[in-house]
Amino acid sequence: MSDFHHDAEFRLHTPEFNELNKKLDRRNFLTKTSLGIGALALGSLFGNRLFSSSPKAVSAPVSTGDLEADILRALPHFAPKAKRVVYLFQSGGPSQFETFDYKPVLAKLMGQNLPDSVRKGQRLTGMSANQSALPMVPSYYKFNQHGQNGTWMSELMPFTAAVVDELCIVKSMYSEAINHDPAITFFQTGNQLPGRPSIGSWVSYGLGSDNNNLPTFIVLVSKNGQKDQPLYARLWGNGFLPSKHQGVQFRAGKDPVLFLNNPDGYDGKDRKEMLEYLSKLNQLQNAAYGDPEVDARIAQYEMAYRMQTSVPEVMSTADEPNEIFEMYGPDSRDAGTYAANCLLARKLLEKDVKFIQLYHQGWDQHSNLPSGIATQCKATDQATAALIKDLKQRGLLEDTLVIWGGEFGRTVYSQGKLTANDYGRDHHPRCFTMWMAGAGVKPGITYGETDDFSYNIVKDPVHVHDFQATLLHLMGIDHERLTYKFQGRRFRLTDVEGKVVKDILT
Amino acid sequence: MTLGNISTFSGHLHPLIVHLPIGFILLAAIFNILSYKKKYESLKPAVSVTLFIGFISAILACLFGYILSLSGDYEKDILLRHKLSGITLAIISGILCYISTEKVMREVRIPKKLFSVLLLGVIALMSYSGHEGASLTHGNDYLSVHTLMQQVRNKPASVQTAMIFEDVVAPILQNKCAQCHQGSKLKGNFSVENLQTLLKGGKSGPAIVPGKLAESELYKRVTLDPGHSDYMPADGKPPLSKNEIQIIKWWITKAGAVEGKTLAQLKDVDSIQMQVSTYLGFNKTTTGNADGDGGTQAINPDIPMQADTLPMAHLRAKGLMVRLMLKKPVMLDITLPANSGVKMSEIKDDLIPLAKNIVWLNLSGNNFTDSDLHIIRSFVNLEKLRIEKNPITDDVYDDLVSLQHLEAVNLNETKITALTVDNLKKNTGIKRIYTWRTAIN
Repeated sequence: MSDFHHDAEFRLHTPEFNELNKKLDRRNFLTKTSLGIGALALGSLFGNRLFSSSPKAVSAPVSTGDLEADILRALPHFAPKAKRVVYLFQSGGPSQFETFDYKPVLAKLMGQNLPDSVRKGQRLTGMSANQSALPMVPSYYKFNQHGQNGTWMSELMPFTAAVVDELCIVKSMYSEAINHDPAITFFQTGNQLPGRPSIGSWVSYGLGSDNNNLPTFIVLVSKNGQKDQPLYARLWGNGFLPSKHQGVQFRAGKDPVLFLNNPDGYDGKDRKEMLEYLSKLNQLQNAAYGDPEVDARIAQYEMAYRMQTSVPEVMSTADEPNEIFEMYGPDSRDAGTYAANCLLARKLLEKDVKFIQLYHQGWDQHSNLPSGIATQCKATDQATAALIKDLKQRGLLEDTLVIWGGEFGRTVYSQGKLTANDYGRDHHPRCFTMWMAGAGVKPGITYGETDDFSYNIVKDPVHVHDFQATLLHLMGIDHERLTYKFQGRRFRLTDVEGKVVKDILT
Repeated sequence: MTLGNISTFSGHLHPLIVHLPIGFILLAAIFNILSYKKKYESLKPAVSVTLFIGFISAILACLFGYILSLSGDYEKDILLRHKLSGITLAIISGILCYISTEKVMREVRIPKKLFSVLLLGVIALMSYSGHEGASLTHGNDYLSVHTLMQQVRNKPASVQTAMIFEDVVAPILQNKCAQCHQGSKLKGNFSVENLQTLLKGGKSGPAIVPGKLAESELYKRVTLDPGHSDYMPADGKPPLSKNEIQIIKWWITKAGAVEGKTLAQLKDVDSIQMQVSTYLGFNKTTTGNADGDGGTQAINPDIPMQADTLPMAHLRAKGLMVRLMLKKPVMLDITLPANSGVKMSEIKDDLIPLAKNIVWLNLSGNNFTDSDLHIIRSFVNLEKLRIEKNPITDDVYDDLVSLQHLEAVNLNETKITALTVDNLKKNTGIKRIYTWRTAIN
């Protein structure tokens, strides 16, 4: 009894023991031992000089007991077609009627009420559910055929129309979400509720980096989109994945990463010295607590130091000739615009940044659609097409996947009053258009069809999860096998769904 | 649960229950024979107990067997023989059980040896009945002298010499359909025994109509939604894989459902070669699951299954990005970051051991000359090559033109002329040559 008391007293007043105790708390113990075993296994893997093909070593790798290490060790699951992705997210829900999905029948039906046989009881948003009528409205803008396959394209996108032979246009996308935030969150993370990792961070987690000096996942939000619907950093967040996989947002403007430059009178050598000491302090802390977030912090400081040189280098447009700026359009000289971001994206892709996501807001035309969408197209069309052309001439379209699309489509009926020159369109998740181009997708094709009202899909529907599965597939990842265990459950980007759209793959 | 389900369920119990009387009656006979020996005399009373359990289970087997016989399309003659012998077996084992009890033994006084002979007779009857039952389930040629004599078709030596029907389609059907559609069990009055029976079909019409997919009942059924009541194989038996379905589709449409032809003798084989070689197990190097989401990717079989990790580590230490594109085979994507200042002489010795593994290579923007790039000649499995922004000239094509797997070459911003392009075009595998900002345009 007295022994026990003595023991307890000893524990209480011995700092070394407290320290040890901290190290051995349950969570740290589990993390550390599992990481340790994983590291051991990795060590033996790489220490072994051969990637042997004996079935024992490759097809049935000995489990390390560490789930995460096992999952990552299995990657890539297929030989990848795409090495990098640039995802041009058109936030707000671009209308498919005035862009890609040509519906000539509507010209005759203008003003008529949307038939119930088409709507089939589809829910409407609170914004138009109480309208007394749902008058159908054709595109205000004309369509023409372009490219070798005579693809119909709106006159609003003359530049994109000129590169239509490079595009794989999917007209049969559909989502389950009808409002912006759940719909974007669904696209970016595979779930309508916030908290899951974004596509870019899944890719970073699965495949790692191809450039040691820049982040694996970079986000650019254009400053010239109308900010009618907000974007949140969680759309490029890491969710429950380790924090080093989160997207790094470059600010729109001349100074994309703040405080990159050393203060006056403080040269790079000093900075390096300071960071080395800081790293030592962090490592001390890490030795005491073993918290993986400290590892992430050390890594981020080191990355930031390397970015002091790599970012100014990649941001510099001094080497870009005039013709390139002309190709991307006049906005491209104004840092932070969509056009300038497209140009920057190309430069980042040249540096093998794996996942770049652009966001351009302002596609939410509930009213004044004809003028609103024209503004949007004008701000994005030329630069989008220029990015495709530029990547193609540089040979980068070989292994870069370009994606264009929003979170949902818009309704065939006018929201608000329909006049000869003005109308609006409400949210419509049942069908909308996206396109992909480049590595691994068939160029110059159109996939999927909608009915005459672009209200329902009649052929080859592609769900958001199917799109995500296809994207991962092109990167060499089986979406069913890239998982992360969190809160006792293994999570996937595509949850329990998703089918690779093989018909559009080369 | 409906009554129909119960009867199907209990019918399916027959194959399970039927093994109990076999085991127990056999055991009774063994006990009986052992009991002749003094050492095992004590087993004697066990004979009647064991026989009793055998008798009860034989009755159950008969009951479930009868229910099963109501549901299946079995060959009538065999079924009758199996039924009669089974019931007889149950009755005789019951009688034997009765007379083996001590009380009856004392009164009737059957000689011990006669009893043993009767017991052996029961086993003979049981063997006969069992064989008939097996013939019902597995077909009457399942266990026969014929099986012993049958010649196994040798596996074809290559895809080209494989016979599309005999080596590919027929084995698929044997594997997935014959259990219910061949020999004594002819569900839907349809047999997959040979091409003639396939063309003849069954109750729902011809199973295979050459050239006409929509009229081929077999193809229609295996491609239905698995939930559909006409889907085949029925009752959750293993379905045909996508690969197998593609092969059957090709055989019906492109090969006109022929027999006796090798792939080499047929046209349009390009589209199916991959699937056939996967089926025959020639290309084990396909990635992922050939039937899963991975699809079947054509992977160059010459890429080695292994690679030395030491040179990889050396290259990484020098700042190169060595990316593993695939582990089996080991496909590598190697990039030397632009303006690295690294000289070819520093990395050459580490690239050479990996020569056959390098599938994508990017050496752009590193001030390499033609002679630096002679090494590329040995990267025989290279598919994508980036050597743009280097001071290279027309001397370079000689090193590239022999690369059989090369698809894309990036020569942007180099000193090459049309001569290089013309010569590279002699290699028809090269599909894309980038020449932006060269003398050509």
